[in-house]
Amino acid sequence: MDMESLVGYILLTGVLLSVALLAVGFVWRWLRVGSLRFEHSIVGMNFFEFLLSTLRQTASQAFRPRLFLNMGIAVLMLTPFVRVLTSFFYFAFVEHNWKYTLFTGFVLSMLTYSLFLR
Amino acid sequence: MSFHTLFLVSIAAGFVGAMSGMGGGVILIPVLTLFGMDIKYAIAVSIVSVIATSSGSASAYVRDRITNLKVGMFLEMFTIVGALAGAAITLVSGRRILFILFGVVLLSSWVALFRQRKATWRQAARQDAFSRWLELEGSYDDRSVNQTIVYRGVRAYLGGPLMFGAGLIAGLLGIGAGALKVMIHDLVMGLPPKVSTTTSNLIIGVTALAGTSVYLAAGMIDPGMTAPVILGVVFGAFMGTRLLVRLTNEAVRHIFLGVLLVLGVEMLLRGLWGV
Repeated sequence: MDMESLVGYILLTGVLLSVALLAVGFVWRWLRVGSLRFEHSIVGMNFFEFLLSTLRQTASQAFRPRLFLNMGIAVLMLTPFVRVLTSFFYFAFVEHNWKYTLFTGFVLSMLTYSLFLR
Repeated sequence: MSFHTLFLVSIAAGFVGAMSGMGGGVILIPVLTLFGMDIKYAIAVSIVSVIATSSGSASAYVRDRITNLKVGMFLEMFTIVGALAGAAITLVSGRRILFILFGVVLLSSWVALFRQRKATWRQAARQDAFSRWLELEGSYDDRSVNQTIVYRGVRAYLGGPLMFGAGLIAGLLGIGAGALKVMIHDLVMGLPPKVSTTTSNLIIGVTALAGTSVYLAAGMIDPGMTAPVILGVVFGAFMGTRLLVRLTNEAVRHIFLGVLLVLGVEMLLRGLWGV
Protein backbone atom coordinates (compact mmCIF):
# COMPACT_ATOMS: atom_id res chain seq x y z
CA MET A 1 0.00 0.00 0.00
CA ASP A 2 1.41 3.45 -0.86
CA MET A 3 1.56 6.35 1.57
CA GLU A 4 -1.41 8.18 0.02
CA SER A 5 -3.76 5.22 0.51
CA LEU A 6 -2.43 4.56 4.00
CA VAL A 7 -2.85 8.18 5.13
CA GLY A 8 -6.29 8.42 3.47
CA TYR A 9 -7.59 5.29 5.22
CA ILE A 10 -6.17 6.33 8.60
CA LEU A 11 -7.98 9.69 8.40
CA LEU A 12 -11.24 8.15 7.21
CA THR A 13 -11.22 5.37 9.82
CA GLY A 14 -10.39 7.82 12.61
CA VAL A 15 -13.22 10.23 11.82
CA LEU A 16 -15.82 7.51 11.23
CA LEU A 17 -14.87 5.65 14.40
CA SER A 18 -14.94 8.85 16.43
CA VAL A 19 -18.37 9.88 15.11
CA ALA A 20 -19.72 6.36 15.72
CA LEU A 21 -18.45 6.33 19.33
CA LEU A 22 -19.93 9.77 20.05
CA ALA A 23 -23.26 8.75 18.52
CA VAL A 24 -23.36 5.54 20.63
CA GLY A 25 -22.66 7.64 23.74
CA PHE A 26 -25.56 9.98 23.05
CA VAL A 27 -28.04 7.28 22.02
CA TRP A 28 -27.19 5.21 25.09
CA ARG A 29 -27.51 8.21 27.37
CA TRP A 30 -30.87 9.11 25.87
CA LEU A 31 -32.19 5.54 26.22
CA ARG A 32 -30.93 5.34 29.79
CA VAL A 33 -31.97 8.67 31.29
CA GLY A 34 -33.96 10.35 28.53
CA SER A 35 -31.54 13.26 28.37
CA LEU A 36 -28.63 14.11 26.10
CA ARG A 37 -26.88 16.30 28.63
CA PHE A 38 -23.46 15.30 29.95
CA GLU A 39 -21.87 17.04 32.88
CA HIS A 40 -18.28 15.94 33.16
CA SER A 41 -15.08 17.69 32.30
CA ILE A 42 -11.49 16.83 31.54
CA VAL A 43 -9.52 18.85 34.04
CA GLY A 44 -5.92 18.56 35.18
CA MET A 45 -5.00 15.98 32.56
CA ASN A 46 -2.85 16.03 29.49
CA PHE A 47 -3.98 14.06 26.46
CA PHE A 48 -2.03 10.92 27.30
CA GLU A 49 -3.40 10.85 30.85
CA PHE A 50 -6.88 11.35 29.42
CA LEU A 51 -6.24 8.51 26.96
CA LEU A 52 -4.90 6.22 29.70
CA SER A 53 -7.86 6.86 31.99
CA THR A 54 -10.22 6.19 29.06
CA LEU A 55 -8.38 2.95 28.19
CA ARG A 56 -8.36 1.86 31.83
CA GLN A 57 -12.11 2.30 32.08
CA THR A 58 -12.55 0.42 28.81
CA ALA A 59 -10.32 -2.43 30.03
CA SER A 60 -12.22 -2.69 33.30
CA GLN A 61 -15.42 -2.83 31.23
CA ALA A 62 -16.82 0.17 33.08
CA PHE A 63 -18.90 1.01 30.03
CA ARG A 64 -20.98 4.10 30.45
CA PRO A 65 -22.28 6.63 27.91
CA ARG A 66 -19.68 9.19 28.99
CA LEU A 67 -16.91 6.67 28.34
CA PHE A 68 -18.03 6.52 24.72
CA LEU A 69 -17.92 10.32 24.53
CA ASN A 70 -14.38 10.32 25.90
CA MET A 71 -13.36 7.52 23.53
CA GLY A 72 -14.81 9.46 20.58
CA ILE A 73 -12.82 12.59 21.45
CA ALA A 74 -9.65 10.57 22.13
CA VAL A 75 -9.94 8.74 18.79
CA LEU A 76 -10.48 12.01 16.96
CA MET A 77 -7.40 13.57 18.58
CA LEU A 78 -5.34 10.48 17.83
CA THR A 79 -6.25 10.54 14.13
CA PRO A 80 -3.84 13.29 12.92
CA PHE A 81 -1.23 12.01 15.40
CA VAL A 82 -1.35 8.48 13.97
CA ARG A 83 -1.25 9.96 10.47
CA VAL A 84 1.99 11.82 11.25
CA LEU A 85 3.44 8.78 13.06
CA THR A 86 2.69 6.52 10.09
CA SER A 87 4.18 9.04 7.63
CA PHE A 88 7.33 9.20 9.77
CA PHE A 89 7.83 5.43 9.62
CA TYR A 90 6.90 5.31 5.94
CA PHE A 91 9.45 7.98 5.02
CA ALA A 92 12.08 6.26 7.17
CA PHE A 93 11.62 2.58 6.38
CA VAL A 94 9.82 2.39 3.05
CA GLU A 95 10.94 5.44 1.10
CA HIS A 96 14.27 5.85 2.94
CA ASN A 97 13.83 9.59 2.51
CA TRP A 98 15.84 10.95 5.43
CA LYS A 99 15.04 14.58 4.67
CA TYR A 100 11.32 14.01 5.11
CA THR A 101 11.88 11.58 7.97
CA LEU A 102 13.52 14.50 9.75
CA PHE A 103 10.71 16.95 8.86
CA THR A 104 7.99 14.51 9.92
CA GLY A 105 10.02 13.68 13.03
CA PHE A 106 10.01 17.36 13.98
CA VAL A 107 6.23 17.60 13.53
CA LEU A 108 5.80 14.37 15.51
CA SER A 109 7.94 15.61 18.38
CA MET A 110 6.08 18.96 18.49
CA LEU A 111 2.75 17.13 18.52
CA THR A 112 3.93 14.74 21.22
CA TYR A 113 5.17 17.67 23.29
CA SER A 114 1.83 19.48 22.89
CA LEU A 115 -0.10 16.37 23.90
CA PHE A 116 1.97 16.16 27.09
CA LEU A 117 1.06 19.73 28.08
CA ARG A 118 -0.94 20.15 31.26
CA MET B 1 -26.31 25.29 26.07
CA SER B 2 -28.56 22.34 25.31
CA PHE B 3 -27.60 19.45 23.04
CA HIS B 4 -30.22 20.48 20.49
CA THR B 5 -28.99 24.08 20.21
CA LEU B 6 -25.36 23.01 19.92
CA PHE B 7 -26.18 20.29 17.41
CA LEU B 8 -28.35 22.49 15.19
CA VAL B 9 -25.95 25.45 15.24
CA SER B 10 -23.10 23.08 14.35
CA ILE B 11 -25.04 21.49 11.49
CA ALA B 12 -25.63 24.97 10.05
CA ALA B 13 -21.96 25.93 10.52
CA GLY B 14 -20.71 22.68 8.95
CA PHE B 15 -23.18 23.07 6.09
CA VAL B 16 -22.26 26.66 5.22
CA GLY B 17 -18.58 25.95 5.88
CA ALA B 18 -18.48 23.01 3.48
CA MET B 19 -20.35 24.92 0.77
CA SER B 20 -17.97 27.86 1.01
CA GLY B 21 -14.87 25.71 1.41
CA MET B 22 -13.82 27.70 4.45
CA GLY B 23 -14.64 25.16 7.15
CA GLY B 24 -17.11 25.49 9.98
CA GLY B 25 -15.14 27.48 12.56
CA VAL B 26 -15.64 30.94 11.09
CA ILE B 27 -19.42 30.51 11.35
CA LEU B 28 -19.55 28.35 14.46
CA ILE B 29 -17.65 30.59 16.87
CA PRO B 30 -19.60 33.84 16.25
CA VAL B 31 -22.93 31.98 16.44
CA LEU B 32 -21.99 30.12 19.64
CA THR B 33 -21.06 33.42 21.28
CA LEU B 34 -24.41 34.85 20.18
CA PHE B 35 -26.03 32.00 22.14
CA GLY B 36 -24.09 33.13 25.20
CA MET B 37 -21.05 30.86 25.11
CA ASP B 38 -17.79 32.40 26.33
CA ILE B 39 -15.62 33.11 23.27
CA LYS B 40 -12.65 31.20 24.69
CA TYR B 41 -14.78 28.07 25.17
CA ALA B 42 -16.30 28.55 21.71
CA ILE B 43 -12.78 28.66 20.26
CA ALA B 44 -11.78 25.51 22.18
CA VAL B 45 -14.90 23.61 21.10
CA SER B 46 -14.52 24.74 17.50
CA ILE B 47 -10.91 23.72 17.10
CA VAL B 48 -11.73 20.11 18.08
CA SER B 49 -14.44 19.97 15.43
CA VAL B 50 -11.96 21.36 12.88
CA ILE B 51 -9.92 18.13 13.31
CA ALA B 52 -12.99 16.14 12.26
CA THR B 53 -13.98 18.19 9.22
CA SER B 54 -10.44 18.58 7.89
CA SER B 55 -9.51 14.92 8.38
CA GLY B 56 -12.79 13.78 6.82
CA SER B 57 -12.34 15.75 3.63
CA ALA B 58 -8.55 15.25 3.51
CA SER B 59 -9.01 11.48 3.51
CA ALA B 60 -10.73 11.54 0.11
CA TYR B 61 -8.35 14.04 -1.47
CA VAL B 62 -5.24 12.17 -0.31
CA ARG B 63 -6.52 8.90 -1.75
CA ASP B 64 -7.32 10.70 -5.01
CA ARG B 65 -3.66 11.81 -5.03
CA ILE B 66 -4.49 15.50 -5.37
CA THR B 67 -2.95 16.42 -2.01
CA ASN B 68 0.82 16.86 -2.07
CA LEU B 69 2.03 15.07 1.06
CA LYS B 70 5.56 16.48 0.89
CA VAL B 71 4.33 20.07 0.66
CA GLY B 72 2.02 19.30 3.58
CA MET B 73 4.73 17.73 5.75
CA PHE B 74 7.16 20.57 5.12
CA LEU B 75 4.64 23.33 5.88
CA GLU B 76 3.27 21.55 8.96
CA MET B 77 6.57 22.22 10.69
CA PHE B 78 5.68 25.91 10.64
CA THR B 79 1.92 25.80 11.24
CA ILE B 80 2.25 23.54 14.27
CA VAL B 81 4.59 25.95 16.07
CA GLY B 82 2.26 28.83 15.12
CA ALA B 83 -0.81 26.98 16.41
CA LEU B 84 0.80 26.24 19.78
CA ALA B 85 1.82 29.87 20.16
CA GLY B 86 -1.62 31.10 19.04
CA ALA B 87 -3.56 28.91 21.46
CA ALA B 88 -1.26 29.92 24.33
CA ILE B 89 -1.90 33.61 23.51
CA THR B 90 -5.68 33.03 23.54
CA LEU B 91 -5.52 31.62 27.06
CA VAL B 92 -4.07 34.87 28.40
CA SER B 93 -5.71 37.46 26.13
CA GLY B 94 -8.73 39.55 26.88
CA ARG B 95 -12.06 38.54 25.37
CA ARG B 96 -12.62 41.88 23.61
CA ILE B 97 -9.32 41.50 21.75
CA LEU B 98 -10.43 38.07 20.54
CA PHE B 99 -13.75 39.48 19.28
CA ILE B 100 -11.95 42.28 17.44
CA LEU B 101 -9.37 39.89 15.93
CA PHE B 102 -12.11 37.52 14.85
CA GLY B 103 -14.01 40.36 13.23
CA VAL B 104 -10.88 41.53 11.42
CA VAL B 105 -10.13 38.00 10.14
CA LEU B 106 -13.73 37.56 8.94
CA LEU B 107 -13.77 40.90 7.17
CA SER B 108 -10.35 40.26 5.58
CA SER B 109 -11.63 36.91 4.31
CA TRP B 110 -14.66 38.77 2.97
CA VAL B 111 -12.44 41.22 1.08
CA ALA B 112 -10.26 38.36 -0.24
CA LEU B 113 -13.30 36.43 -1.44
CA PHE B 114 -14.95 39.53 -2.88
CA ARG B 115 -11.89 40.36 -4.94
CA GLN B 116 -11.19 36.71 -5.73
CA ARG B 117 -9.04 36.67 -8.80
CA LYS B 118 -10.31 34.75 -11.75
CA ALA B 119 -6.88 34.28 -13.32
CA THR B 120 -6.11 30.73 -14.34
CA TRP B 121 -3.18 28.93 -12.78
CA ARG B 122 0.07 28.93 -14.70
CA GLN B 123 3.10 26.77 -14.15
CA ALA B 124 6.01 28.66 -12.51
CA ALA B 125 8.77 29.33 -15.05
CA ARG B 126 11.58 27.93 -12.94
CA GLN B 127 11.89 26.31 -9.55
CA ASP B 128 14.29 27.78 -7.00
CA ALA B 129 17.04 25.56 -5.60
CA PHE B 130 15.52 25.26 -2.11
CA SER B 131 12.11 24.13 -3.38
CA ARG B 132 13.85 21.67 -5.70
CA TRP B 133 15.84 20.31 -2.75
CA LEU B 134 12.55 19.89 -0.90
CA GLU B 135 11.18 17.84 -3.84
CA LEU B 136 8.11 20.08 -4.05
CA GLU B 137 6.70 18.89 -7.32
CA GLY B 138 3.94 16.58 -8.36
CA SER B 139 1.12 15.79 -10.71
CA TYR B 140 -2.55 14.86 -10.48
CA ASP B 141 -5.33 13.86 -12.81
CA ASP B 142 -7.80 16.72 -13.20
CA ARG B 143 -11.04 14.95 -14.10
CA SER B 144 -12.85 18.20 -14.95
CA VAL B 145 -10.52 18.80 -17.90
CA ASN B 146 -9.41 15.18 -18.43
CA GLN B 147 -5.78 16.13 -18.12
CA THR B 148 -2.77 15.33 -15.98
CA ILE B 149 -1.54 18.55 -14.40
CA VAL B 150 2.17 18.62 -13.67
CA TYR B 151 3.41 21.34 -11.29
CA ARG B 152 6.43 22.53 -9.33
CA GLY B 153 6.20 24.38 -6.03
CA VAL B 154 8.33 27.52 -5.66
CA ARG B 155 9.43 29.98 -2.96
CA ALA B 156 9.24 27.45 -0.13
CA TYR B 157 11.65 29.71 1.82
CA LEU B 158 8.85 32.28 1.98
CA GLY B 159 5.87 29.90 2.15
CA GLY B 160 7.20 28.20 5.30
CA PRO B 161 7.53 31.29 7.52
CA LEU B 162 4.22 32.67 6.24
CA MET B 163 2.54 29.42 7.25
CA PHE B 164 3.70 30.09 10.80
CA GLY B 165 1.37 33.10 10.69
CA ALA B 166 -1.50 31.00 9.33
CA GLY B 167 -0.96 28.47 12.14
CA LEU B 168 -0.87 31.28 14.70
CA ILE B 169 -4.27 32.57 13.58
CA ALA B 170 -5.69 29.04 13.51
CA GLY B 171 -4.60 28.33 17.09
CA LEU B 172 -5.52 31.79 18.31
CA LEU B 173 -9.06 31.82 16.93
CA GLY B 174 -9.92 28.12 16.81
CA ILE B 175 -10.42 28.05 13.07
CA GLY B 176 -8.74 26.15 10.25
CA ALA B 177 -7.52 29.40 8.61
CA GLY B 178 -7.86 27.50 5.35
CA ALA B 179 -8.40 30.64 3.26
CA LEU B 180 -5.06 32.02 4.40
CA LYS B 181 -3.24 28.74 3.85
CA VAL B 182 -4.70 28.38 0.37
CA MET B 183 -3.65 31.92 -0.44
CA ILE B 184 -0.04 31.17 0.58
CA HIS B 185 0.05 27.93 -1.44
CA ASP B 186 -1.55 29.61 -4.38
CA LEU B 187 0.05 33.05 -4.58
CA VAL B 188 3.43 32.45 -2.95
CA MET B 189 4.23 28.83 -3.75
CA GLY B 190 2.58 28.66 -7.16
CA LEU B 191 0.59 25.47 -6.53
CA PRO B 192 -2.50 24.71 -8.64
CA PRO B 193 -5.78 25.66 -6.86
CA LYS B 194 -6.91 22.06 -6.27
CA VAL B 195 -3.55 21.10 -4.78
CA SER B 196 -3.61 24.26 -2.62
CA THR B 197 -7.05 23.54 -1.19
CA THR B 198 -6.54 19.84 -0.56
CA THR B 199 -3.05 20.20 0.92
CA SER B 200 -4.34 22.98 3.18
CA ASN B 201 -7.02 20.54 4.37
CA LEU B 202 -4.41 18.00 5.36
CA ILE B 203 -2.33 20.56 7.26
CA ILE B 204 -5.36 21.90 9.13
CA GLY B 205 -5.83 18.56 10.96
CA VAL B 206 -2.40 18.68 12.58
CA THR B 207 -2.61 22.43 13.28
CA ALA B 208 -5.99 21.96 14.96
CA LEU B 209 -4.69 19.06 17.07
CA ALA B 210 -1.82 21.19 18.38
CA GLY B 211 -4.31 23.94 19.29
CA THR B 212 -6.68 21.41 20.87
CA SER B 213 -3.97 20.02 23.12
CA VAL B 214 -3.33 23.48 24.59
CA TYR B 215 -7.06 23.97 25.29
CA LEU B 216 -7.33 20.44 26.71
CA ALA B 217 -4.43 21.16 29.08
CA ALA B 218 -6.24 24.32 30.18
CA GLY B 219 -9.32 22.22 31.04
CA MET B 220 -11.42 23.94 28.37
CA ILE B 221 -12.52 20.86 26.43
CA ASP B 222 -15.90 19.90 27.87
CA PRO B 223 -16.97 16.57 26.28
CA GLY B 224 -20.67 17.35 26.81
CA MET B 225 -20.35 20.52 24.71
CA THR B 226 -17.68 19.33 22.29
CA ALA B 227 -19.30 16.06 21.20
CA PRO B 228 -22.59 17.54 19.84
CA VAL B 229 -20.52 20.12 17.95
CA ILE B 230 -18.32 17.42 16.35
CA LEU B 231 -21.37 15.39 15.33
CA GLY B 232 -23.24 18.45 14.03
CA VAL B 233 -20.34 19.91 12.06
CA VAL B 234 -19.52 16.55 10.43
CA PHE B 235 -23.19 15.96 9.55
CA GLY B 236 -23.60 19.53 8.24
CA ALA B 237 -20.40 19.30 6.18
CA PHE B 238 -21.57 16.00 4.70
CA MET B 239 -24.87 17.57 3.61
CA GLY B 240 -23.17 20.75 2.41
CA THR B 241 -20.80 18.79 0.19
CA ARG B 242 -23.75 16.90 -1.34
CA LEU B 243 -25.62 20.12 -2.06
CA LEU B 244 -22.53 21.88 -3.33
CA VAL B 245 -22.53 19.94 -6.58
CA ARG B 246 -26.05 21.18 -7.35
CA LEU B 247 -25.41 24.87 -6.75
CA THR B 248 -23.53 27.25 -8.97
CA ASN B 249 -20.28 28.73 -7.71
CA GLU B 250 -21.80 32.19 -7.99
CA ALA B 251 -24.78 31.32 -5.76
CA VAL B 252 -22.54 29.78 -3.11
CA ARG B 253 -20.27 32.82 -3.14
CA HIS B 254 -23.17 35.23 -2.72
CA ILE B 255 -24.65 33.33 0.22
CA PHE B 256 -21.30 33.03 1.93
CA LEU B 257 -20.24 36.62 1.32
CA GLY B 258 -23.44 37.84 2.98
CA VAL B 259 -23.01 35.59 6.04
CA LEU B 260 -19.33 36.51 6.39
CA LEU B 261 -20.00 40.24 6.24
CA VAL B 262 -22.77 40.18 8.85
CA LEU B 263 -20.76 38.01 11.26
CA GLY B 264 -17.57 40.01 10.71
CA VAL B 265 -19.24 43.35 11.48
CA GLU B 266 -21.09 41.83 14.42
CA MET B 267 -17.92 40.39 16.01
CA LEU B 268 -15.97 43.59 15.46
CA LEU B 269 -18.69 45.75 17.03
CA ARG B 270 -19.04 43.42 20.01
CA GLY B 271 -15.29 43.68 20.55
CA LEU B 272 -15.21 47.45 20.21
CA TRP B 273 -18.28 48.07 22.38
CA GLY B 274 -17.48 45.32 24.81
CA VAL B 275 -20.87 43.61 24.44
